[in-house]
Amino acid sequence: MGDEGNAQTPRRTTRASLSSTPNPSNSTGKLNLCNQQPLTIDDLAYGDESISFDDLISSLPGRRAQIIELLRILGPLDSPMFPVFVYGGASTGKTSSILQIFKHLKRPFVYCSCVTCYSPRILFESVLNQLLLHRRNESNRYLSVKRCEKPSDFVNLLQEALRNVVDSLKGNVVKSSSKKSMGRTRGEMVYLVFDNLELVREWDKGSNILSFMFKLYDILKMPEVGLIFLSNASPDTYYLDTGYVEPVPVYFPDYTEDELRQILMKNQENPKLYTSFLEVVLRPFCRVTRRVDELSTAFSPLYQIYYEPLDDLGIVPSGDVKRELFSHLQPHIGPSLNDTFRVENRLSSEASGKTNKWKGIAKKMGVSESSDEIDFHMSACAKYLLICAFLASKNPATLDASLFDSTGGFSNGKRKRKSSEKSKEKKETAEQDLLLKGPGTFPLERLLAIFQCIVSVSECLPDDEAQGDGGLEGESWTNGLLSHVLLELSSLCNANFISKGGSCPLEGANRYRSMVSEAMALKVARSLKFPLSKYLYRGG
Amino acid sequence: MGVENPAEEAQILLRTRLCNPNYIFTILSDSPDSNYSKLKYIMSSSVTEACNNSALLLGSRGCGKVAILEMVIKDLLQEYPDMICVIKLNGLLHSEDNCALKEIARQLCIENQLVFSKMASFDDNSQFVISMLRECGLAHKTIIFVLDEFDLFTQGKQRLLYSLLDAMQSVTSQAVVVGVSCRLDADQLLEKRVRSRFSHRKLLFLPPSQEDLQRILQHCLLLPTESSLPPQYVASYNKKLLNTLSDDKFKDIVESLCDSDSTFNHLLRFLFVAVCEMDTKSGFLSLDNFKTALSSIQRQPKLEALQDCSILELYILVCLRRLEVKEQETTNFNSVMKEYKSVHDSFQTADYYERNVCLRAFKHLLQRELISLVDNRGHSQSVEFRPVRLLISSHELHQGLKSYRSCPAILHKVLAV
Repeated sequence: MGDEGNAQTPRRTTRASLSSTPNPSNSTGKLNLCNQQPLTIDDLAYGDESISFDDLISSLPGRRAQIIELLRILGPLDSPMFPVFVYGGASTGKTSSILQIFKHLKRPFVYCSCVTCYSPRILFESVLNQLLLHRRNESNRYLSVKRCEKPSDFVNLLQEALRNVVDSLKGNVVKSSSKKSMGRTRGEMVYLVFDNLELVREWDKGSNILSFMFKLYDILKMPEVGLIFLSNASPDTYYLDTGYVEPVPVYFPDYTEDELRQILMKNQENPKLYTSFLEVVLRPFCRVTRRVDELSTAFSPLYQIYYEPLDDLGIVPSGDVKRELFSHLQPHIGPSLNDTFRVENRLSSEASGKTNKWKGIAKKMGVSESSDEIDFHMSACAKYLLICAFLASKNPATLDASLFDSTGGFSNGKRKRKSSEKSKEKKETAEQDLLLKGPGTFPLERLLAIFQCIVSVSECLPDDEAQGDGGLEGESWTNGLLSHVLLELSSLCNANFISKGGSCPLEGANRYRSMVSEAMALKVARSLKFPLSKYLYRGG
Repeated sequence: MGVENPAEEAQILLRTRLCNPNYIFTILSDSPDSNYSKLKYIMSSSVTEACNNSALLLGSRGCGKVAILEMVIKDLLQEYPDMICVIKLNGLLHSEDNCALKEIARQLCIENQLVFSKMASFDDNSQFVISMLRECGLAHKTIIFVLDEFDLFTQGKQRLLYSLLDAMQSVTSQAVVVGVSCRLDADQLLEKRVRSRFSHRKLLFLPPSQEDLQRILQHCLLLPTESSLPPQYVASYNKKLLNTLSDDKFKDIVESLCDSDSTFNHLLRFLFVAVCEMDTKSGFLSLDNFKTALSSIQRQPKLEALQDCSILELYILVCLRRLEVKEQETTNFNSVMKEYKSVHDSFQTADYYERNVCLRAFKHLLQRELISLVDNRGHSQSVEFRPVRLLISSHELHQGLKSYRSCPAILHKVLAV
């Protein structure tokens, strides 16, 4: 994290990729590659050739007004500025705009993001490392240059570091003006950029840190320092007790449809074809979401389907071709609108031959056309546990005695009741409650009791699945292999099928909650040929 | 050369001025009964008469308390060069006792060219401070303690305040304790024993009055005639500026600015943004600059967030509002989905999407803080079951829908029912 100016590409490179050597198998005694040279003050700015203003605007379509506003506030060289607060929705180009602006201006800056610097200590040390031109590598055991945990230490160290930086920048300016050559950095000011500030709110003592950061400008009292805050959340959502002087706000609105079109058109090999594609899909998808990242992930598989019937991908589509392509694409648009996350099911040819092994590592979430089978592998024990957990969450505990008895039979008598008006109303309110409250919690003992009952029932039924799965389980479930069951339970918890809830202080044990939907539980039960619906409490 | 360079130079000059708090408040130090002169009198008398004193500067944020204090200290340092030692503490940073004591020891070391050891313990530090106080008292040197964010020092046991004020009670010490706070009741937060040692001198700092505003504006924005800028440019700039300042529309702008927040800092930010917008080609500040500055300072984030929503997100907001109207007490994602389905059935909307897409839109709304979860602790439930509520009023929702560019007409109908 943090760009130390050695980047040759416009994207930020991580420190790990900068300092990693290509052959890690070489002996450690050998000196590392040339990018391990000590950092100089010039590394605080982007090192390579700068981009012109027009390049800046064209590299970030749709952000012209915001970039101009930011450039105005940053102002001419060496003019002091108030702190700036840049806010806007996610993926609206705040970070890229700021970084490109600094690339254009070639002024020295320090960047840290509160995503990678997830605690105050890491944040402070990252800023100090960058200002003191310190790189963490093997030789200094990846330690920061100074240990800094408290805001008071940070202020002292920061003032010292900033003064050093400003002095060396002044020295640079004098040198470059006498030599009449452009130094790599311009100006005498240093800018501190803090990204993803909204995450600080959730930190431990986050409000103290936030008050401190907003007051940093007043505490430092150095006009050579500019502060820039980037945040996904607007400034009115920062609720601080003590109040603070607000920074100058700059707002990045979400992209309009035209701007989205411009952005998505960048770097397309066949612009005309892609334009015709966008004409078809952009408007309906914009009704669902306007975020660039979500749209681009939805569009790439659709685009592949779109140009499938074409032999030559370089052609300019005429009206007829467009209509044909559209009709080819149309049945896929609807389901794609309802997809949120799609990972390609990488079925290799040998894997598709096997039936009981891992079908695919990816799982399609939220698929609209639901298959009757679950498309991942679970052991039979885990499937039974899942069903028991689902039953335990859905049914009230008082019904257990009547639903499950040790002989494995279940009494049907109580279920058959005429549905009267009152029971219909009760059913509705019970459904309402279920909508609101969600699945209930149950202790471990209840789960194991239900499990024992159900497994003793199912052992009488022919069970191909159980035989097919490794012989370890076999018929010995009810013979007390409790540890195996508990291991399965913990792996179900890790897979988030069962969640561990808070513990009740009276009972003292942890309570669990089933997180699967009814459709999923039915699928699992069907694969085991287990009559789930007879055990479900439907109200009434 | 031409007119571009002077304009840019002028812009840099104005920006430097506006970002320098000391410059702005010099005009407030003129009159004899201003806070500046009172504070100066208190502090200089305790220096010259070798007595102890304490004072509190109170006023809302951005009214110039610290700036005026800095000016007084600067003047005192000029008048009595070797008789004053200044220690500055900030409540945000040093509210813990050992932290504060370490900082006091560090600053004392720097002032007296001693070497400060970071490994010194709390007892070492406190002994050092006490002995320094005694030494300074014997040498007739006054120590001025500036406690910024004074109300944050009053949290906890107030050991630091007690020890400082107690040390002032002895005959040998010469110290002045000045507290600065934005809470007007900061002295009520003191413990009984601390309050008894505190002299109840309070200076109140107020936001600028209407008459002061004009003076401040001119003071900030007029270019000085004896500078490196070309004199004709300066003269024409000043003339145009005075015209703009006396314009009625400008007065309206300033009034609407001060309606929301009339402190100095707010005004300074407004002037800063206006100066940033200054057109360097023409080199003059125009009324449009001030108008743009006003609209960029006064924002309506919730309405902006509404403009950024997609249509599905608007549907979710409208359904949530309908549930609110029906006075349903707890609403969560599932009940919103139920309402969404019933709206689709009764109005035959074109936008009906599946549950997972709606869940994603719901999470976007949570991120934008247009809706929020009611309980912060219930993390064991998935987000579909946790109760939520709307963070915008129905008026804002109506306004947002009206100004939304391509809002489907059916949404208005759905909301109105």
